Formats: sequence, structure tokens, C-alpha cells
Amino acid sequence: MTRIIVFTRKNLFSIIILAPAVLYLVGFLLIILFKVVALALTRVGPQGDLFPTAYHFVELSRNPEFRHALVRTIWFTLIGTPLELVIGMAAAFLVVREFKGGGITRSLFILPLAIPAIVTAIMLYIIFDFPGGHVNDILMGRYSFFPFQVISHPVDWRGSGFFALMVSILGKVWRDMPISMLIILAGLQAITKDQHEAAKTLGANAYQTFFRITFPLLTPAMSTVLVLRSIEVWKEFIFPFILAGSYPLLATLIERAYHEWRNPNEACAIALVLLVLIIISTIFIFHVLKWLRRRLVRV
Amino acid sequence: MREKGASISKISATRVIWFAGIVLMILIVLAPIFVMFKYSLSDRSSVVTGGMPIPLWPYHPTVEQFEGLATMDSFITAAFTSMKVALLSVIISLAIGTPAAYGLVRYRFPGIMVLATMLISVRLFPDIVSVVPIVETFIRFQLVNSVLGVAMAHSLLSTPYVIFIAMGVFEMIPRDLDEQAQILGASKLYSFTRIVLPVALPGLAAAAIYVFLLSWDEFIFAYFLLAFGELSTLPVLLQKVLSWTPQHNLLAAISVMLSIPVIIFTFIVQKYMQTGATAGAVK
Repeated sequence: MTRIIVFTRKNLFSIIILAPAVLYLVGFLLIILFKVVALALTRVGPQGDLFPTAYHFVELSRNPEFRHALVRTIWFTLIGTPLELVIGMAAAFLVVREFKGGGITRSLFILPLAIPAIVTAIMLYIIFDFPGGHVNDILMGRYSFFPFQVISHPVDWRGSGFFALMVSILGKVWRDMPISMLIILAGLQAITKDQHEAAKTLGANAYQTFFRITFPLLTPAMSTVLVLRSIEVWKEFIFPFILAGSYPLLATLIERAYHEWRNPNEACAIALVLLVLIIISTIFIFHVLKWLRRRLVRV
Repeated sequence: MREKGASISKISATRVIWFAGIVLMILIVLAPIFVMFKYSLSDRSSVVTGGMPIPLWPYHPTVEQFEGLATMDSFITAAFTSMKVALLSVIISLAIGTPAAYGLVRYRFPGIMVLATMLISVRLFPDIVSVVPIVETFIRFQLVNSVLGVAMAHSLLSTPYVIFIAMGVFEMIPRDLDEQAQILGASKLYSFTRIVLPVALPGLAAAAIYVFLLSWDEFIFAYFLLAFGELSTLPVLLQKVLSWTPQHNLLAAISVMLSIPVIIFTFIVQKYMQTGATAGAVK
């Protein structure tokens, strides 16, 4: 007891300056966690509230809309996350070498980050408009710079689940490309010239150098991208909300449950499912990457 | 001889592929941004073409959309609301984040790094999961449809960033500075507010701009907290305009007004972060 008092007195100033942020952030986090679980496990009824109950989860598992959203979300993540990595890597490999105008090119590649996500989503809404948008006009060969007719009739991009979610993924990947690029770029720049020189001296060709040197040494950076980006893609809201309104993912279904069905409890149950999915997937990716790294890098 | 020729052609082949890749990437990056500016300058005949292909450049470029925004009450109000929310969230998150960062950097008691990691990783919590509980909580405290409510939600998102950036700034400031001040008889509080903070200001300004932009851009919390009220921030107004009358040129003009400050400040902050915040502090 006295030790606590002595400790407090000695560190009073630092405790005082740390307290507001800790209380604010941790306090809100606890409120959020408590409320999500409490709401999800409560059934509001005419005879009063029922707690705890798995009613909402049972209801959701019977709800075809929820099932479709779950399947869509899984596909969305399975396609979106690798794309984020591949495009980010491609961009990083393009700008890693020194060339005239490299600085400007790098700045240009960071531009998508500077465009608000809602603006990007609305631009894609306009570009992929039906019947008369730029993409439809290009694919129908109506411009002189691309005189090839790929499709004969305009495509209703927002009228099919597949196309609507593809356009959403496109927007998400476009906007996040700089983040993945910068992480991979940092990884690439950390690989020293000596390592490449050594490989060359030992008679490795370009492919061997890439697969035996560059690729294994990049695994930490790639793992970072995969883990962080997969979390981002799981919870993506803005792009599907604007571009795929009729084909909800779990994140957009939360909005629908809250605003259209007027059911905060059900919304929280969906949110809890999404949270558990994110946690499981993150742990899974983490372990798979660890196993892969052990297989790949034999030091 | 033949080998030499082969190697030259190989080098130029990779060169060509690489150059094509650069050009393609630049085109992909610029396309949506170009379309945004193009539509914002479009007259009606370039948007509603009656079955003709949409022109790549407006037939009669005009700034009438922007002139229209200047007299559009909902736009002016939303712009001011966005400003207020962003400034308020800068004030809140810097006021609680900066002292915390200083404490985390300067005072090493056991578990402090765990605490720092915990505070920063709050940001990894999915916002779409926390939005319904936050709104339900805010309803009880009359914080829905208010500038303060949205600013509080935004500072919840941005305080971890402030702590992270400010920790970097304070780590660059030599400890000698505060220690010498305390040897000369300054209190801890005095040496923090009068000696360390002035030196840290440039770095903290970068953090402030960052927080401002985060709030200026943010859609999810703003939308859920303002969905059924009179107030809108600019991103929420964009969504509302989209659901009322999807006029492409009006949407693009609002988008340009929303994006320009972000584009400018993003590059300013980037430059700022690289200049040492502490040059010449300790002689």
C-alpha cells in the first residue's frame, strides 16, 4: 500500500499527463465492447428485455440476406487482399529504381491517398454509369483512341452483384495502393546492394536473384501489407455503400439493419460476427505467414 | 558479339516493359482525378448527351457549377460544419494526445511500452463495428446531430495518430533540454510547457494538419451521427446529393472543393515531416 503511494507521489506528473488520453481511448473502447456485446445479446420485446439470448444470431443464421452478405464479404476479402498486395508491389517495383522524374512519379503515385474515399467512390459511380458512362463508352468502342468494340450493349454495372462488388474492390485497391506501395518500397530499399552483388558473383541469373534474394527478404514487408490490408478490406464500408447498395456486405448490412430495419441489436450482432471474423482471419494469416517464412527463408 | 547484342535487346525489352508499366500506372492513378475535374467544368450538354458518347473534354467548359455552389446554402453550411468539426477534433486530440506522448517518451516505468502500444492499436479497432454502440451512447448524452459529437468521434480515431506522431517528435528532442531546465529550478510542468513544447511545435503542426484532414475526409461516423438531422459535413452532403439528384457535374464540383485542401495539405505535411523539428535546439 505504502509502495503504491510512494510510486504515485514520485510519478504524479506523468500519471496526470497520461490520464486524459488513457481514460478517453481505453474508456471508449471498453464502452464500445461492452455495448456491442450487450446489445447483440439482448432481445427487446413487448414484455421487456431478454438478456442474455442468442436470439439475434439464430435469426441472422436463418436470414438469407445475412447469408448472402457473409458469402459476399468472404469473396470480397479473398479477392481484394491479394490485389492490394500485388498492385502495391507492382507500383513499388516500378519506382524503386532511380530515374529522371522519379521523385515526381512517386508523388503522383501517392495522390490516391489525398483523395477522400467518398469522392473516389462517387467518381467511380460516375465513370461506371449506365447507360452512358465513360467505361461503357470505351468498351463499346465509341472513342477514336480505342476503336475496338468489346461489348455491343452498355453494361448495368450497379445492377449485378458481381460487377458492383468488382467496381467496389477496384476503388478500394486504387485508394489504398500508395499505402501498400510505401510499405513494400521500404522493404525493397532495406535490401542492400551487397546482397544482390553477392548473388551475381555466385552466378545467379535475374530470376534466381529475385526468387532467392529479393522475394524472401521482402516477406516481412509483404506480411505487414497482408495483415493490415486484410483487416481494412474486411471492414470496407464506403465503396460498397455507394457502389453496391443493393448487394450488401456485412459492413453495409450493419448500416441497413440500423437505419432500414431500425434494429440496433441486430446491427450489433452483425458487427460482432464481423469482428470475430476479422480476429480469426488475422490470427490465421499471421500463422500461415509464419509457417511460410520458416519454409522460405533458410538462414 | 552475338551475346552482347542479345544482352542489349534484353535490357531494352525490360526497359520498355518498365516504362509501359510506369505510364499505365500514372494513367490509372490520374484517371479518376481527371474525370473529377472534367465533370466539375462540364456544361449540361457534355453530361446529358442524349446517347452520344460522353466527351473526354467538355464541349463548352464552364465554371457555373462552382458559381452555383457559392450560392448553395446547404453547401456553405456543410463547409462550415466540416471546418468546425475538424478544428474541434484537432483541439481535442492534441490536448489529450500531446501530453500523453510526452509522458510515454520521458518517463520509463515498467509497462509503459505496453501502454503505448495499446493506445496506438486502438486505431485497429474496426470503425464500422464501433459506430452503432457509439451512436447509441451519444443519443443518451444528446451528442447526435451536434458538431461536438462528431468531433468527439473523430478525435477517438485521430488521438492514436497524434500520440504516435508526437512520440516521434519528443524522441527527437534531446533530454538535456528538460533536464537542464529542471537543474536551473524549473518545475516539470514549466519545462514541458515553456521549453519542450515550443521546440516541438513544427512537428505538432504536422500532426494537427493530419488530424484535420482525417476529420475533413471522414464519412462513417459523420454519416451515422448526422443521418437524420439538419447538420451535414461535406462528405455527408455529397452522399445526400447523390441520393437526391445525381447530377454528375454538381457532384464533381463538390468533390473538387472537398479534395483540393486535402491534396495541397497532404504534400505540405509530407515535406514537413522530413525537416528536422529540432534543428539547433541544443547548442
